[in-house]
Amino acid sequence: MNLSETGQSRVNGYLFVLERSLKTFLPADIVHDAVREIESHLRDRVMTTEAVPNEREALERVLSELGPPLRVAQAYSAERVIDEAVTTGRLLPIGRAIWHVATTTLVGSLVGTALFTGYVAGFAFLAVAALKPIFPNNVGLIVVDGIPRVFGAQFPAPPGGVVYGGYWIIPISIACGIAVLTVMHRATRRFLTRWRERRKLRSALEAPFTT
Amino acid sequence: MSIDNWQEQLRRGSLDLAILLTASAGPRYGLAIIQHLEAFTDLVVTEGTIYPILGRMTREGLLEAQWIENEAPHPRKYYRLTPRGARRLREMTIEWKALAAKIDRLMAAAEEGTR
Repeated sequence: MNLSETGQSRVNGYLFVLERSLKTFLPADIVHDAVREIESHLRDRVMTTEAVPNEREALERVLSELGPPLRVAQAYSAERVIDEAVTTGRLLPIGRAIWHVATTTLVGSLVGTALFTGYVAGFAFLAVAALKPIFPNNVGLIVVDGIPRVFGAQFPAPPGGVVYGGYWIIPISIACGIAVLTVMHRATRRFLTRWRERRKLRSALEAPFTT
Repeated sequence: MSIDNWQEQLRRGSLDLAILLTASAGPRYGLAIIQHLEAFTDLVVTEGTIYPILGRMTREGLLEAQWIENEAPHPRKYYRLTPRGARRLREMTIEWKALAAKIDRLMAAAEEGTR
C-alpha cells in the first residue's frame, strides 16, 4: 500500500507525538534511534498491507496494533531510564528514574516522595557538617528554654536559643549523612529493580497473547 | 489468585525467551521478529512494546543491533544473538524444559490418582 499525503501526515503526526514524549526522559540520540526504528516498522507494515479502498481505516489499524504513541513512549522510558539507574547506580539516572516512577503511578509517587525525603535528610546531615565551621553559632542542636527545637542550622539564631554541639558534630553529621545516603541509595536501587521487573511483566502482559 | 494473575506469573519472562529463540535463527528486524512469533507460536505481540524490550536486551548484551540501509526501500534495524545471548538462551531453554517436564509429571500423577 502506498500512502497518500494525508496518510503520510498521519504517520508523521504519530511520530511527532512519540518523539516529543520520548524527549521527556531520554537523550536525543536514543530518541532519534527509537523514532527511526518505529518509522521503519510503520513503513514495513504499510508496505506489506494490501492496497485497500479505505486507506484511513487500514492505517488506523496499523497504528492501533503498534499502540498509542504515549504508551509506546512510556514503555521505552521505563525500560531505558530505570534500566540505566539500576545498572549504573549514578545519582542523575537515579533521580530521573525516581521522577519517572513518581509521575507514572500513585504508588510510585508515594515511594518517590519517601525516597526523595530520605535523600534530602542525608544531604542535610552533610550540609550541617559543611556549615558548622562557617557558622558555629547557628549550627548544631539549638535549644530554646530547655526544649530542643532544631538540629541543623537556623539563621538568625532564635532569641534565647543555646547552640549545643561543638565541632565534634561534624564527623557525626558526616557519618550520619553517609549512612543515610547509603541506605537510601540501596533502597532506591532495590525499589527500582523490583519496579523494572514489574515493568517487564507488564510489558509482557500488555503484549496480548492471543490464540 | 485469579486466573489472570496466574497467567501473569506464567507469562513472566516468556517474552524474553521467545525473542531469543526468534533471534537464534538469524538476524531479524523488529517486524520480522513479530511475524516469526506469529508464525511459529500463537503469540501475537503488541508491536509498540517489543521495541523497548529489544532495546533492553541489546543493552544487556544479549542481542546486537545494526542498521541496514540498503536492504529495503527504508533502513531497518536488525537484531542478532550475541554469544552472551546464546548462553542465556541455552540456560533459559534448559530451565524451561525442566520446569515443563516437572509439571507434566505432576499432571500425570494427578491424573493417575483420579482414576
